[in-house]
Amino acid sequence: MTNSKVASFWNVLTSLKLAIVLLAMMMALVVACTLAQVDMGTNGAVNHFMRSFIVWWHPPGFAYSFPVFPGGTTVGLVLGINLITAQFRRLTLSWSKSGLWITHAGLILLVAGEFVSAMFQVDAQMAIEQGETVTYIERPKEVELAVLDTTDAKFDDVYSVPQALLRSGASIPVTGTPFTIKMHGFYQNAEMGNRGDGAPPSIATAGIGPSVAVKEKAAVTSDEATNSPAAFVEPVAGAKSYGTWLVSPILGAPQQFIHEGHTYVLQLRPRREYLDYAMTLKKFSHDVYPGTDIPKNFSSLVHLDNKTTGEQRDALIFMNQPLRYQGKTFYQASFGKNDTLSILQVVQNPGWLLPYISCALVTLGLLIHFAIVLGRSQKKRRKAPEAA
Amino acid sequence: MPQTMPCSTRHAPARLHLPTWTAAALLSLLGVTACKQEVVTHSRVPKSAEAPANPMGGAGGAAPMARPGMGNMPGDAVPPPPKPDARASLKWTLPTGWTQEEGGGMRFATIKAPATGKLEISVVVLPGTAGGELANVNRWRSQLGLPPVDEAGMATFRKQIQTKAGQVSVYDIVGDGTANSRMIAGLLLAADGSTWFIKMVGDAAPVAAAQADFVHLLETIHFD
Repeated sequence: MTNSKVASFWNVLTSLKLAIVLLAMMMALVVACTLAQVDMGTNGAVNHFMRSFIVWWHPPGFAYSFPVFPGGTTVGLVLGINLITAQFRRLTLSWSKSGLWITHAGLILLVAGEFVSAMFQVDAQMAIEQGETVTYIERPKEVELAVLDTTDAKFDDVYSVPQALLRSGASIPVTGTPFTIKMHGFYQNAEMGNRGDGAPPSIATAGIGPSVAVKEKAAVTSDEATNSPAAFVEPVAGAKSYGTWLVSPILGAPQQFIHEGHTYVLQLRPRREYLDYAMTLKKFSHDVYPGTDIPKNFSSLVHLDNKTTGEQRDALIFMNQPLRYQGKTFYQASFGKNDTLSILQVVQNPGWLLPYISCALVTLGLLIHFAIVLGRSQKKRRKAPEAA
Repeated sequence: MPQTMPCSTRHAPARLHLPTWTAAALLSLLGVTACKQEVVTHSRVPKSAEAPANPMGGAGGAAPMARPGMGNMPGDAVPPPPKPDARASLKWTLPTGWTQEEGGGMRFATIKAPATGKLEISVVVLPGTAGGELANVNRWRSQLGLPPVDEAGMATFRKQIQTKAGQVSVYDIVGDGTANSRMIAGLLLAADGSTWFIKMVGDAAPVAAAQADFVHLLETIHFD
């Protein structure tokens, strides 16, 4: 590339016009994403429009999808580069420009914060009944194959194979156990029913699987619909196979086999994260306005017990008043079972403070810049009569 | 005065190392992406941390994801598994101290016996022959780490109990390994074509302790 072409590209990349175009594109993406949530659900729309490099369109009746717009990741990445390069190109490092420096830094942090959220934010939930103590959270949109060694009387050894590995279709060594899991199929969504006598043979050879017919379905993303994942897995220890098992959360049948005196249970279940602390739901409250069924407030009184730190305390979680603990935020999200079950949305986002910091920086930067410009303006005014 | 200088003359493009900046940004992104590699993880958790449902496995059981009566949370709307078409309900007499609760999913009922150690009794009904008697016996044997048997081998350890509901084939299977597990399973082919499984599985000691009561329960089964 010649120097003139480099300079030309550099001028475009650092231009204010590009920043305006990118911001306009981002606004268009936000509008499209908001409207699409009706059909695609929140997660589906965000993944399709915002957390993608390209927005694809699949016209009805066509076998292929077409790229129609840059995705939020692309726009955000270019905007981030534009803001950074423009800052160094256009702004001199001087006190008079300090406000603009701070404002720019705030905007860059805002874009960076979204990347941190996209990469590291984990959404999970804790379903907890009144009087129940729970020590784990689950990600409802992801599954894992849990291989549990339940031999010990007091503890279970849980080996979790994440969904990404299950989808790969390869043989998966389960580190810490003598097993390799051979994958014979993974369905993100499937319909299951009792397999009739005349039905085609099942892939499964062990457990409940041979009695169950499995039909793959298209995965759903809307908030109301839920996928019913299923997998055919074959645990193999050395040369010994324990058969091919059908596993699915919908079957509700964690199935077991015994290897050299150890009892192993196979479960396909929502991806689980064990916590260092326990949470007990002391009381769930569903308050309504007097004389009506209109909800006024939902709240969960929980007891937090951290054996590691010795911390023991109660916390009241209610709408817009989450519990923040060890990097996780517990929001009141839903309820059930005649108001005896509370569902807490658990969000873990290492960059949750970044939008707040960036807004504060932008505000501070604009105030400083305004003060500097105001001071300069007043100085000129004072000088003007003297000159006259 | 610096603030009045035209932007284009303050910094020459060649001094700004464009490729360095772009490469740094892209490499950072790739680096962050690479950090998200998924691996098999291990946790050692107290028994109570696991979901209480279905500790013993086998066919049927309540869906642990399903939380009936829930609002609009994602993940809670798992529909129940299909209910087998059992035209008549099986009944039995519970031994003293035993309790039962209605099962979920493909499980017809869960029976609890007072016992020390792992022990679970389940009643499951499936339409048709559910793969046949030999396939089910070998399925149970594989659960306990035993090799499959043929028809003749199966017949050698089969016992028959005559009940008002029909003839029940009973299999007593003891697993290998140091921590012995044992299963006593009754299989009944009903007149309507469905197959009923009444199965007791657990550690060898509590299964042996409950064996007499379980056989007595099998003897009392009848259709409503």
